[in-house]
Amino acid sequence: MAQIPNLENAPLNLKSIREKSQRELVNLLKDIRGTKCLVIDPKLSGSISLIIQTSLLKELGLELRHLSAEPVQTECTKVIYLVRTQLSFMKFIASHIQNDISKAIQRDYYVYFVPRRSVACEKILEQEQVHNLVTVKEFPLYMVPLDEDVISFELELSEKDCLVDGDVSSIWHVAKAIHELEFSFGVISKVRAKGKASVRVADILNRMQVEEPVNTNDVGRPEVDTLILLDREVDMVTPMCSQLTYEGLIDEFLHISNGAVEVDSSVMGAQQEGRKMKVPLNSSDKLFKETRDLNFEVVVQVLRQKAMSMKEDYTEINSTQTVSELKDFVKKLNSLPEMTRHIHLAQHLTTFTSKQSFLSQLDMEQTLVEAESYDICYEYIEEMIHKQEPLTNVLRLLVLFSVTNSGLPKKQFDYIRMELLHSYGFEHVVTLNNLEKAGLLKKQEFKSNWLTVKRTLKLIVQDTDTSRPNDISYVYSGYAPLSIRLIQQAIHSGWRPMEDILKLLPGPHLETKRSGFPSSPSVDSLHGASNGVADGRRSIVLVVFIGGVTFAEISALRYLASKEGMAYDLIIATTKIVNGATLIETFMEKLG
Amino acid sequence: MANVSVAAEWQLLYDRYYRKPEIYQMRWKHVDLSRNKVACASFGGPIAVIRDDSKIVQLYAESALRKLRIFNSAGILLSETIWKHPGGRLIGMSWSDDQTLICIVQDGTIYRYNIHAELIEPNMSMGKECFEQNVVECVFWGNGVVCLTEGGQLFCISDFEMMKPFKLPDVPGLTEDDMLQPTCLAVREPEYTMSGTVEVLVAVGDEIFGVEEDSVQTFRVDEPSFKDSETQNDDYGNLIGPVQKMIVSPNGKFLTLFTHDGRIVVVEMETKQIAIDYSCESALPPKQMAWCGMDTVLLYWDEDLTMVGPLGDPVHYFYDEPVILIPECDGVRILTNTSLEFLQRVPDSTESIFKIGSTSPAALLYDALDHFDRRSAKADENLRLIRSSLSEAVESCIDAAGHEFDVTRQRALLRAASYGQAFCSNFQRERVQETCRTLRVLNAVRDPDIGIPLSIQQYKLLTPVVLISRLINAHHHLLALRISEYLDMNKEVVIMHWASAKITASPSTPDTHLLEILLDKLQLCRGISYAAVATHADNCGRRKLAAMLVEHEPRSTKQVPLLLSIGEEDTALVKATESGDTDLVYLVIFHIWQKRPPLEFFAMIQGRVLARDLFVAYSRCYKHEFLKDFFLSTGQIHEVAFLLWKESWDMGKNPMASKGSPLYGPRIKLIEKARNLFSQAKEHTFESKAAEEHAKLLKIQHELEASTKQAIFVDSSINDTIRTCIVLGNNRAAIKVKTEFKVSDKRWYWLKAFALATIKDWAALEKFSKEKRPPMGFRPFVEACIDADEKAEALKYIPKLSDLVERGEAYARIGMAKEAADAAAQANDGGELLERFRKTFSQNAIFDTLKMPFQGAS
Repeated sequence: MAQIPNLENAPLNLKSIREKSQRELVNLLKDIRGTKCLVIDPKLSGSISLIIQTSLLKELGLELRHLSAEPVQTECTKVIYLVRTQLSFMKFIASHIQNDISKAIQRDYYVYFVPRRSVACEKILEQEQVHNLVTVKEFPLYMVPLDEDVISFELELSEKDCLVDGDVSSIWHVAKAIHELEFSFGVISKVRAKGKASVRVADILNRMQVEEPVNTNDVGRPEVDTLILLDREVDMVTPMCSQLTYEGLIDEFLHISNGAVEVDSSVMGAQQEGRKMKVPLNSSDKLFKETRDLNFEVVVQVLRQKAMSMKEDYTEINSTQTVSELKDFVKKLNSLPEMTRHIHLAQHLTTFTSKQSFLSQLDMEQTLVEAESYDICYEYIEEMIHKQEPLTNVLRLLVLFSVTNSGLPKKQFDYIRMELLHSYGFEHVVTLNNLEKAGLLKKQEFKSNWLTVKRTLKLIVQDTDTSRPNDISYVYSGYAPLSIRLIQQAIHSGWRPMEDILKLLPGPHLETKRSGFPSSPSVDSLHGASNGVADGRRSIVLVVFIGGVTFAEISALRYLASKEGMAYDLIIATTKIVNGATLIETFMEKLG
Repeated sequence: MANVSVAAEWQLLYDRYYRKPEIYQMRWKHVDLSRNKVACASFGGPIAVIRDDSKIVQLYAESALRKLRIFNSAGILLSETIWKHPGGRLIGMSWSDDQTLICIVQDGTIYRYNIHAELIEPNMSMGKECFEQNVVECVFWGNGVVCLTEGGQLFCISDFEMMKPFKLPDVPGLTEDDMLQPTCLAVREPEYTMSGTVEVLVAVGDEIFGVEEDSVQTFRVDEPSFKDSETQNDDYGNLIGPVQKMIVSPNGKFLTLFTHDGRIVVVEMETKQIAIDYSCESALPPKQMAWCGMDTVLLYWDEDLTMVGPLGDPVHYFYDEPVILIPECDGVRILTNTSLEFLQRVPDSTESIFKIGSTSPAALLYDALDHFDRRSAKADENLRLIRSSLSEAVESCIDAAGHEFDVTRQRALLRAASYGQAFCSNFQRERVQETCRTLRVLNAVRDPDIGIPLSIQQYKLLTPVVLISRLINAHHHLLALRISEYLDMNKEVVIMHWASAKITASPSTPDTHLLEILLDKLQLCRGISYAAVATHADNCGRRKLAAMLVEHEPRSTKQVPLLLSIGEEDTALVKATESGDTDLVYLVIFHIWQKRPPLEFFAMIQGRVLARDLFVAYSRCYKHEFLKDFFLSTGQIHEVAFLLWKESWDMGKNPMASKGSPLYGPRIKLIEKARNLFSQAKEHTFESKAAEEHAKLLKIQHELEASTKQAIFVDSSINDTIRTCIVLGNNRAAIKVKTEFKVSDKRWYWLKAFALATIKDWAALEKFSKEKRPPMGFRPFVEACIDADEKAEALKYIPKLSDLVERGEAYARIGMAKEAADAAAQANDGGELLERFRKTFSQNAIFDTLKMPFQGAS
């Protein structure tokens, strides 16, 4: 199975977007004749692997390298750097070129920026006096379809950049990406946004429509009806909790990157020990499509049932007489590799889920979310620090503590931070500073309103039946993610009925209607009246998370979309798929 | 019948009819073509006229200074200027494809004028050699020129847009001592030659040479008589030369020669086959020679214009005034002092309708309309006659209408067409509309005030886009706009040009008023680039107007750079920030950074949050020192402290710096400096304390490294330092660090228990557990042992756990299910716990049974 998902059943034609990017990249690379060395920044190379197979790139006569501080080792006289616009990369490139010059190696250099040229990056090349030696172009990759209903803008630093550094480049990027989608699928008429960045995206999107209008006549009836924008900042509680869906758990323990997870081959039952293997995880895998969104407890049961029924078939095969029976059996056998794969994975996961530390972590998370007893949690975190448990785990719980409690009392705040520095080293003072700037770990100044939010939005659902869920709360075994509750409301009734609650959460909110620029208004209204029902497809709601979304949240949204009475298909777009650990890691910055 | 009069004006050359309708009565007065040098642009372009300084002419009531005057094709003066250039006589003058007037004087200097007689700077030159040798003749083609110098050398510019002159190879006989003079020159345009470069044909003596960029070849044309008799022994005797005049046909295929003995010879250039060979009455070379379309050649002597075709007797026209022949793609325009005529072959469709006695379907249709108008029943009879070929007849009428210059006749033909069309079921109706539309455009530009007498064929070759650009160049903006609207073309070009021209033309209009006028029109076109207009305003020195205009530009990517270039930095920063495009903000930041002294720059961005943050982000990565200055000057002392602290770390990491020297000294100094800065602000006491402890830690670590002679302490945390001490068995040092940093007992117990477990010093661990009653019970000991996977050791401490739940869990973790269950049973809320144990234990079992049957298959 391929890592690149086939997007056949996507409600939007995401395949066309992927193919366009693929074409653009191939054309860019083909422009340069002869053998060449392609140096990609490592993170970008992950995104590219969802666009085009590496083998295809190699067919173009490319040597592939990852960008690092080390000079590029290659015989090629043409070196292409394919990089995102990060300042630090420019120093690498400049030093590579200077290194070549000092060794009198003559090469042609090309710098392809993703998604577009950047003044600041080129400034560094200029200052290093290599700008005139490179040919600069752009590869406009603003988004990557991760699956049939998920798009990623591949901006893993967006939350940190916005909250800590005030660098809001990612906001413009998100708006641009949505605008690009509008060029393919029509102007989105209804916009609902919550959070500072989201409202800004809506604003920039409107500007872009003025500057570079999408011509409604070119694209036909808009396919996307509503755009819902949500800042991660609005709900930092959810990602800090451990996800309990199958896909979510895989991500928590094994870390899914670019639609695949890397595990020891022994885990998957292969003979060779010690070798790593990649397991693709996307909807092209039917069994995974069926189980990814279920609570892990249920997944074990489902796998068990399936295995049992197969086992029966297996034993029955001895008594099989007719060819058609045989055929049926063979057909069933086809799903065997999928079965084995997921049984292996699930078993591997249970080695983590059954650990005492994980269970107590869940306990603490639950206690914090239910706002029951802060003291127990505080002591628990203190002990974690003393035991020097992984720093991300500590910070994750600490942030959850701070967010639900709107900070820590001054004394505890200073004490716990100093204990943390003592345990993990003074270099982490910057991490603490970052978290404080972002408002994720702070001194308590006023009373928390988490209790009100929790109660009004019914975030805690007692008696959640994970196997026959009737609410999104099943994804966290009892806690309904705040973010998804908000979206649920936004889809059904818009912001108006819940203004009071929105005011308790960070950032402004906005609800507007937009329109394209039809050259003849009569045509537009005609289409609107007739086409709506004719093609039998549901309208689409595009849900955009700025700052990241977790797999469990995606599962919850899929659950919503599958519920009866839902009039829309949902497409989820995010700056990056995150979990508590990866989100915290972006804020971690050492002095040294 | 009316039809007769039409055909009566035609002349017959062998079997082809030619006509030369008068297009304009020239509106100019007192222009005598014979006294002047004249350059006429093709495609009905303008006419440049200047007194010929190579002729002796009598001056009437006029200034001795020469005037360059530019007229449109109807003789209306467009512009004029006084000619007072140095460089000798004007040798050549011609219009280039983009209607620039190219004037070449004796010393090879090229002066260029636009249609408004404005000199286009800078003046160019044909090159130094040309300057020394004097130009004696120029031959122009569409977009290039070849100059012949007195020295017999050839210089060429092959593209007026590039203006790069180069020398062509020498022609044999011209530059040698015998110094023959070439009798005539002609060029074959680059698009028709094999090499893709221009070919110059030079007639020298008996011979003709073809000169290209890098080669010279003889171009042999043999006498037809010799060719036939197959007796060509003598190399020279059978050549057709000497040639007195020659021109190349518009398609580059034929060469027309006028020989010394008064013959006109047309020869196919590739095959050397002779197409026309006709002896004229005069052996004197004609003053002008031109191709009329592709079929015939026109020769002009004083008062006599002769048209020679491949067959039949030539047609003679008589003129009692000087004429100028202007070749077009489908005919020749004939300019005289008083009129402009267009000589062309009568189009087939026109011929079929108007030829005397024609009974073609088209002629009958045209006749039918006449009867219909007179309410005669014959109309119906005519129609019935041509029923089967009606659509063909309609088509001919439409086509003929297109070729007409006369509006009444256009109308008559089109009416005939639409009359016929009514009886025609399968005719494409758009054809009439299309022709009507084209004719409306043509009639509009043919109006004498505009003076562009295009034929329909020329119009199609020129394309509407070029026509519009010519109109706007001649400042006929309104007409250009109307035509663009009418033809559904982009109006942006027209409006943009108008706006620029308007700004140039109104230097005294106040900014606000002019802005109003401009906006009024610019709003006609969505998506127009206000920034481009503003740039023009700025170039015209109207910076304020530019600023006002750029305000209206919706595209910030265009707006911001322009604002910077007109010095509106503040506005640029505001607009860039509003746009949300951080790249634009960077653009502004770098611009200001470069232009302003640092302090001014700092003050400017300090108040702008986004600009400041981006600057900080950039500097953090690339300009550390400068960033420090910024933080200092804006009073963000703690940020400076963070930077210093970071520097101290970088110093430790840099292997070059640490070699040999006792680095900790400067490092600690930096941290202490940071601490001092932190301590200046109350809200940073925490950081200040941390820095203080860090400095202390570094000192201790350094001492430890010195005493243990192991470089394993520096840059580890306090916990790790203590741990390392314990692992090394240096309990005293560990205790020292503990007291130095007031490590709590809680932390100490965890730390030491784990450290001892790592080195598996179980005895020491047990001793430690008995030192005193552990402050938080025995959990650290249990966990340390379980972590190290030592069940036996763990069992020593598990029973000592006071909390029953904890005890149960501990048993469970080392796999002792029974003991775990017992403990759970004793606990208060044991039920839930028991359930959990059951689950964990059973789940693993499930998977093992599940995998069994598939092991072979996977």
